[in-house]
Amino acid sequence: MLSGKLFWELWADRLFTLASWILGGLGLFLPVSIVGFLIYRGVQAISWSFLVDAPKGFPLGLEGGIRPAIEGSLALIALGLAIAVPFGVGGAIYLSEYGASSSWERMARFAAECLAAIPSIIYGLFGYSFLVVYMSLKISLVAGGITLGLLMFPLILIGAHEAMQAVDRAYRESALSLGVSRLYVARRIILTKAWPGIVAATVLAAGHAVGSAAPVLFTASVIFSRGGLDLTAPVMTLPTHLYYLVSEASSPEQTYGTAVILIIGLLLSNSVATLAKGWKQ
Amino acid sequence: MPASWPSPSLHAGLTVLKGLLPRSPDLSRSALSEEMARLGFMAILLTGLGLLFFIPLFTAREAYPAIFSGDGLWAFLISNTWEPLSNPPKYGILHAWLSTLIITGLSLAFAVPVGFGIGIFSMEIAPPAIRTILQPCMELLAGIPSVVYGFFGYVTVVFWFEAHWGMPTGESLLAAALILSVMILPFIASTSGEAFRAVPHDLKEAALALGVTRWHMVRRIVLPKAASGMFAAVALGLARALGETLAVLILAGNSVAVPHSVLDRGQPLTALIATELGEAGVDSPKYHALFAAALVLMVVVISINTLVWTLKRRIIQHEV
Repeated sequence: MLSGKLFWELWADRLFTLASWILGGLGLFLPVSIVGFLIYRGVQAISWSFLVDAPKGFPLGLEGGIRPAIEGSLALIALGLAIAVPFGVGGAIYLSEYGASSSWERMARFAAECLAAIPSIIYGLFGYSFLVVYMSLKISLVAGGITLGLLMFPLILIGAHEAMQAVDRAYRESALSLGVSRLYVARRIILTKAWPGIVAATVLAAGHAVGSAAPVLFTASVIFSRGGLDLTAPVMTLPTHLYYLVSEASSPEQTYGTAVILIIGLLLSNSVATLAKGWKQ
Repeated sequence: MPASWPSPSLHAGLTVLKGLLPRSPDLSRSALSEEMARLGFMAILLTGLGLLFFIPLFTAREAYPAIFSGDGLWAFLISNTWEPLSNPPKYGILHAWLSTLIITGLSLAFAVPVGFGIGIFSMEIAPPAIRTILQPCMELLAGIPSVVYGFFGYVTVVFWFEAHWGMPTGESLLAAALILSVMILPFIASTSGEAFRAVPHDLKEAALALGVTRWHMVRRIVLPKAASGMFAAVALGLARALGETLAVLILAGNSVAVPHSVLDRGQPLTALIATELGEAGVDSPKYHALFAAALVLMVVVISINTLVWTLKRRIIQHEV
């Protein structure tokens, strides 16, 4: 016969176990059901012509495809990466290999994390007022690319720094004690060991940037372009095209299709990042 | 130096010369390139991080007229409403920060218990097989773009509100908060999970060895030890929720009226900026008002981030 207190204690434990299984199940159910729902509803919209045609019909996007949006998003991200990767990785090399003191390293990390926490709409606002208006770049591929580069820079810096910190100190110290330069250590040891982590961070940052509409809404995007890329001309992008289709609310099939393309991009970038993280030489 | 050098003065001269000349051309070139590389990498880092000062400064500069030359900060935040078409036009952001407050408060209320539950589940309860699929699932949830969440909410939650609650339009603060809570869930779950994992194993095992139940151990050992990390998780979720734009733009209804209930339509700060920026002439009062709204948002988010940073350091110190 259990005493009353012990009896309740056992029941509380069972309740706790049950509740955490339910919440854990919810954690599995939510992503699977959201992604599954969108793919289930959107997969029939996806065809070859959806991928290679420009939007047509009235209101725009009723028919046709999303090729200019895919092109525009890819071009923006390529431009952004061309800015963010050298700065992010270079900065991380300085922090990890040359950083004078640990307090200076901590301050820099703090600054990077603050930058990463700034909402993406503020990057968009900054890009609009500084690049588009003040530097008179107009709403263009180059203004949007720089804005996305700024957005990705702190994410890549933080990820690359973590990856470099994870390299065993023994490698670094034995190399330095052999008398090679720090540059050599950075190039031949740190980058060689840390590149999977750097790739993972870069891919995740790119995946995040490609899906955010807020930074490009006023710096790069237009509702319609015929395709063709020009640094000084605006482009269509996938997330802003999806936003436009949602607010038009006239072509559900195209809307689901565009959402599915974004989801597929996300699945791709997440898998590449997971593969890179698990990479062992 | 051999002692048979002809004269001390020549000796001294040669020594100075030798100091000026590189001992071995190869070594000094590498020392020079080493220094160049160091400076180059430092310049790269400083340029990048200079943004942290430049973005807020630039925003503050553009926000200055709205805060100081109009009716003042009090009017901007509290007493004025957003009436760009009245005469004279009024730009107050009461409706926006109230909407932001309601939406983020509600979404935290939904997401925090579930997020902690998932964190505890994955660290203490889940079998290894489930733990390994839970992690990519959370990453997936964290990665779905905001605009896709907005669309998803529009065809599910908003539709459901219209069909079952008889609302004329289902777009509401509650709809936005529901979707937002799903968006911040993975951040709360993973940050709190880290905190739970950081609780020393020997403490947990010592408790279990005394024969207490798992719940007792979690309640008396894991939760108190992980408290600061759990708080950091909530703050991180809050910062995320404050900055989300596209989902709340689509779901909250974009109405400039001051909201009175969770079923009212509203317009959070981020949605206000995204809606109005396209129609705000450069250097117009509206333009400056939008920057002031952004400044409010940025100050709040950076303060929260500073708090999280301090808490995280405390967790790490616990671990050592």
